[in-house]
Amino acid sequence: MIGRDRCESVLRRALDASEAEDADAYLVVQDLGSTRFAANVIHQNVSHGNAQLHIRAVEGRRQGRATTNDLSDAGITKAARSARRNALLMPEDPHFKGLPTPGVPPQVQTFDENTASFSPAARAEVVAVACRLGEAEGLESSGFCRSGVQETAAMSTRGARGYHATTFAGFLVTVMSGDSASWSKGGSWRVSDVDPVSLTGEAVARAVRGRNPALVEPRNYAVVLHPYAVDDLISALSQYGMGAQAVQDGRSWMSGLQDTKAMSPLVSIWDDGTDMNGWPNPFDAEGVPRRITHIVREGVIGSPVHNSYTAGKQLAESTGHQFSFGGGPLASNLFVKPGTVSEAEMISSTRLGIYITRFHYIRQVHNRGCVVTGMTRDGTFLIDEGLITRPIKDLRFTQSLVEALANVEAVGTRTRLCLNEVGFTTRVPALKITGFNFTGVTV
Amino acid sequence: MLDLLSRALNSAQVKGASYADIRVVRTDQERYGVRNGVVETVAVDESFGFGVRVLVDGCWGFASSNDVNPTEIDRITGLAIQIGKASSRLGGEPVNLGPPVTSRGAYITPVQVDPFTVPPEDKLALLMEADAMMGFVKGVRSRQGNLIFIREHKSFANTEGAFVEQTIFEAGGGIQVTAVGQGEVQRRSYPQSPGRQQGCAGWEYIQAMELPRHAERVASEAVELLTADPCPTGKTTTAIIGAAQLALQIHESCGHAIELDRVLGAEAAFAGTSFLTPEKLNNFRYASDAVNITAESVRLPGLGTFGWDDEGVPAQSTPIVRNGEFTGYLMSRETAGRLGLASNGCMRAASWNRIPLVRMTNVSLEPGEWNLDDLIADTDDGIFMEMNRSWSIDDRRYNFQFGTEMGREIKNGKLGRMLRNCTYTGITPEFWNSCDAVCNSDHWRMWGEPHCGKGQPGQLGHTGHGASPARFRNVRVGVLR
Repeated sequence: MIGRDRCESVLRRALDASEAEDADAYLVVQDLGSTRFAANVIHQNVSHGNAQLHIRAVEGRRQGRATTNDLSDAGITKAARSARRNALLMPEDPHFKGLPTPGVPPQVQTFDENTASFSPAARAEVVAVACRLGEAEGLESSGFCRSGVQETAAMSTRGARGYHATTFAGFLVTVMSGDSASWSKGGSWRVSDVDPVSLTGEAVARAVRGRNPALVEPRNYAVVLHPYAVDDLISALSQYGMGAQAVQDGRSWMSGLQDTKAMSPLVSIWDDGTDMNGWPNPFDAEGVPRRITHIVREGVIGSPVHNSYTAGKQLAESTGHQFSFGGGPLASNLFVKPGTVSEAEMISSTRLGIYITRFHYIRQVHNRGCVVTGMTRDGTFLIDEGLITRPIKDLRFTQSLVEALANVEAVGTRTRLCLNEVGFTTRVPALKITGFNFTGVTV
Repeated sequence: MLDLLSRALNSAQVKGASYADIRVVRTDQERYGVRNGVVETVAVDESFGFGVRVLVDGCWGFASSNDVNPTEIDRITGLAIQIGKASSRLGGEPVNLGPPVTSRGAYITPVQVDPFTVPPEDKLALLMEADAMMGFVKGVRSRQGNLIFIREHKSFANTEGAFVEQTIFEAGGGIQVTAVGQGEVQRRSYPQSPGRQQGCAGWEYIQAMELPRHAERVASEAVELLTADPCPTGKTTTAIIGAAQLALQIHESCGHAIELDRVLGAEAAFAGTSFLTPEKLNNFRYASDAVNITAESVRLPGLGTFGWDDEGVPAQSTPIVRNGEFTGYLMSRETAGRLGLASNGCMRAASWNRIPLVRMTNVSLEPGEWNLDDLIADTDDGIFMEMNRSWSIDDRRYNFQFGTEMGREIKNGKLGRMLRNCTYTGITPEFWNSCDAVCNSDHWRMWGEPHCGKGQPGQLGHTGHGASPARFRNVRVGVLR
């Protein structure tokens, strides 16, 4: 961690060194400690720090970019000059409306000293406790315990100015027997929010129950999705089209569906980068404050998230979703509105169905309707006459996610924060969906 | 440089490390992107830093920094030692690295034209020309092209006496078109999807792609696909898989499955494990007699080509599947030792601030004897599928499903109508055992995969896969919903 003053000094030097008409700079400083374990043993234990400075130079309607991790005066000057040189190489871009002139982002307090100072020895102790819980049931545990600090700072010649320091902590565990497995994960900006004993206990219980799985025929089933599985589906929907660039290209699942009721009225999805119930990140890589964006409201498809470029093409305003310095806008702080039905009630109301803990390797097969394929993983069970009766072998599904969310029959009362590896979070409840299409089975 | 490396190694040993290595890496990258007639990206990226890996009390510790100076090297080495000691809280059997590695020397990717000497204007002009050619085709919704050039200079030394320096060049480029209409979205790419083809090579590699020459064809095919007949649903048939698609099939269903760290459980919580468990080595029919697969790091322009891996083990070649029999893994020093074998040089780190992991080098299907025209003529009924559009495989690398950008019906030995939304699914050893023909070296090409994810924290690896078209029997196709 280098602190606000030094971050701002780096950014100011970057803008000063730029000889362009306009410029902005974005700095990401990260110190991460990660203790990874497999088969009840710590096998990878690392610390890495880096500071990446991104500079964008603007000449008229041209923008050039450069990135460096050399924060010396010479390194910053070199990058600033490279960015301007790159801008001058470009023809005018009629869609580029210049740098945004954002307002002041809100201050969000997500820095915790205990998390920042969480040591390798402390992480090893967490891992040891988790492994002991698994071993007591004859299970092998794998996963990671991580903690760290991230600073992001933005500044531009158009008045953007933001600094945010956050801590983060995460614990993930997979427990396995010869023929069963389960997992759980937790994360927060405060290490004290993460309860590895409870998380491991949850995974152990499912893995014990998952022993001796049966084979079921792949076909349509009602499914009850643990929030981990919902996180997987919502993350896929974000990746495959909640950003305006995909919509403008016509390759998003939202294309042609905006303002139509394409999903169940029980489904509302929004992105909020300032909600303390998520993992807040109050401004984007252009320094633009995050705005709440309603992706789906009571089943009606809303608007995608924007950066300044995609917004400029539509004479709209950026919603503050330039996730990193390159690429298109990304919805990365997603929430799904909770409902009124408990997970237990979802199961008890299901005559024949499948309970899914999580999915694996979801990839889009077709853009329209966001048809994806993937596997179930780490705890898949048959629901028969309202009861989870037996574990089953993992299934492959091929399913339109838009159709799946149109077929939501019940939404869980409790939500769970899923903090994913790249700072991408969802807070989601369990879902019950009818007619989920399974197309294969593993052996 | 050697002084800095020695300082870390000496410091580590003084502080109690039984083994240590250090990598100092400087990476320079140029990126160019054009989208719909507009230059979207001109960027240069630099990254410089070092990582120290130590064994303390038989356990690993690793720390890294972007501040390369003697004081920071001392601090980071101390931190690595501290982390190694923390690992011993739950250390298991002490790590055994096997025989010492004492490699010394230098390696530079042979290039005809250093891509960093080519004016940026020439690179943009190439992309703009290709973009204009795509833009001539009516019905195209979006089009994009990109180029990337990477130069990585890496110094490695260990406490066993190894000291190697390498400069690896990579060049990549490609174009992609999306057509929208008739309730459909279709995509075509060239030379490879998604986005680009990449290899350890210079500017000549990009020139040989002839992006503008292929641009109009690619765009026309995307538009034509909008109204093409759909792939037959739920049919079991013969599939001839094109070389670009087969490269990813090899990557997913063979390459990942033979990573020995994964086999031994190191990735169980993330990417998964592997069905190719150790008792199957030299004792399992992975594929038909027609299939020979090799892993090697000496085959240019594959992205897995280098002088030494990130443990200093020399580049080499390993038979993975010989006449269908499973014969080899991708290994590190530590994992090889656990099977009583020696490393075959597959430890690779994505950056100075990541630990090396067992990664694919160039895992390739060796060419067979068939000419593609003869193979099609020899096929009564089937589908030719080419260029990846989607991919998914289970956590043991067993159950897979792929989609391709384009298909062609094969009827009575001839290519027929175009097919859209082609998918196929299968079980890895059943699929490879159904392979009865592989095309010859005239059709063989080294493909690049620069987006291979592994590890936590995540690492993107760059791997190569040589392939020519091959025929598979009894393949289930048309799984869309």
